[in-house]
Amino acid sequence: MSLFWQECKMNFKTMLVWALCVGGVCLGCLLLYDSLGESVEGMSDIFANMGAFSEALGMDRVSIGTLEGYYAVEISMLLSLGGALYGAMLGAGLVAKEEEGKTYEFLNAMPLGRARILAQKYGAFVALLAVFHGICICLILFGFAWMGSMPAMGNFATYHGAACLMCIEIGTICFLLSVLCRKRPVGAAVGIAVMLYMMDLMCRVVPALDKVKYLTPFCYSNAADIFSGGEKSEWLWGIGLGAVVLGAALGMSFVIYKRKDLM
Amino acid sequence: MNAMEMIKLTKTYGKNRGIQNITLAVEEGDIFGYLGPNGAGKSTSIRCMLGMISAASGEAYMLGSRVGERHFVEVLNRVGYMPSEAHFYPSMRAGDVIKYAARLRGMDCEKEAKRLCQVLEVNCNKKIRELSLGNRKKVSIVCALQHKPDLVILDEPTSGLDPLMQEAFFELLMERNREGMTCFLSSHVLSEVKRYCRHVGILREGELVKVDTVENLTRTRLHALRKIKIYGVAEVPQIEGISEIAQWDDALTFSYQGEMTDLLRALQGQKVKDLLISEPSLEEVFMYFYQ
Repeated sequence: MSLFWQECKMNFKTMLVWALCVGGVCLGCLLLYDSLGESVEGMSDIFANMGAFSEALGMDRVSIGTLEGYYAVEISMLLSLGGALYGAMLGAGLVAKEEEGKTYEFLNAMPLGRARILAQKYGAFVALLAVFHGICICLILFGFAWMGSMPAMGNFATYHGAACLMCIEIGTICFLLSVLCRKRPVGAAVGIAVMLYMMDLMCRVVPALDKVKYLTPFCYSNAADIFSGGEKSEWLWGIGLGAVVLGAALGMSFVIYKRKDLM
Repeated sequence: MNAMEMIKLTKTYGKNRGIQNITLAVEEGDIFGYLGPNGAGKSTSIRCMLGMISAASGEAYMLGSRVGERHFVEVLNRVGYMPSEAHFYPSMRAGDVIKYAARLRGMDCEKEAKRLCQVLEVNCNKKIRELSLGNRKKVSIVCALQHKPDLVILDEPTSGLDPLMQEAFFELLMERNREGMTCFLSSHVLSEVKRYCRHVGILREGELVKVDTVENLTRTRLHALRKIKIYGVAEVPQIEGISEIAQWDDALTFSYQGEMTDLLRALQGQKVKDLLISEPSLEEVFMYFYQ
């Protein structure tokens, strides 16, 4: 497990910075809720009647007039997008950095084998993302407690579980990219995360793209859908397809890395 | 038993040449010099041996285990490898890299690592990014030797090391070799190969052109090429096989490739004050295979 711990250690600072930034912004927005005062209630009605835009952001189902609704519509978006970007960049760097920094010779001369190298790196990736979400959840719960209004814990846990899985899925796709590349594909990773987010928004706005929404992991990690108790079967479809994509990307990573010429 | 073996090993990079049909065996306990200029295929052969790149055809064995086989990974615990470019994680301290290498092997090498660091004067507290190439090479040597491997593969180990450190490094190698360690040394520094290696393989454009002992290569090869220096004679003997003629003051020097009796017969009757006949250097042998 030495490689696992080393990867965790090497990426810990970056993870902490991301978690404190994303979690901190979420906390800050929660604490700002009271200062918005009565204007939120007025805005709630306006936002709920903005047609496709309201549907895309889930404002037609959840009211931002409550702290929970405000969290589900506004704040969760920051966490989902921030987490997806962090997951993508983390996944993209883990394997390709060895060839980019020429450290693959040091690592691959050790009696580990490629499958173990990849398994320990992926383990570190999942652990780091879990800690990232743990820190964010702690900060968000602190914000709710400070405001004196806790969210429905079942929905809250479901959303964060789904958001964590979404980050892992996007990160795993970028992990596969990292196996394929000889240099860290950071630009491509950020592009993938943003593209999948935009795709989710588009699918919610354009009815013709309704079925395509399952291709993006943001479809099952939408807080407004979860907090409004949306269609369960659709959500399960999204999760199922996400698990398939994750498994396929991970499997391909192992197959490709085992055969790859390292240079 | 052979510590290393390549059988018709071939590797190409698309249309580019890598190595072609290399067949080579390194006996246990040997110090084998792998010679060739830059781009000849030395590092490619080594990476094939370590399983970092897969050969297009042929077989490779290390310490009795076939490269790429399921249990090959376990063999790597008995192998030390020092790459030509010593790259580590820049944010780590030298001492941490050495400990990390031992942990990856699942071994406690603290005592030996400490001794090697003392001999090579490694500053363990410095971060890798602060170290020069020579100092990174020293860290690489410690990582390759601290677990007392049965076989060590060194890819251009002395580049970047100062002469004192080169001496200390080869002393360590000789000490380990006396204990039974096999050494595979890739280099283009002929003097160190001649001084320390028993067998030499010469690689040219991806092909192995010669494998022999250093002694045989310099003594019996090249159809008995000799360097001749004659004092007191101004005229070049009129026989075949003479080349690279030069004359300074009283001395005539040339290379001679042929029967010694023919040369002596040609010199009969001349006023030879002194005659020096020497073997060609490994450099000359090397150049012979490259021309």
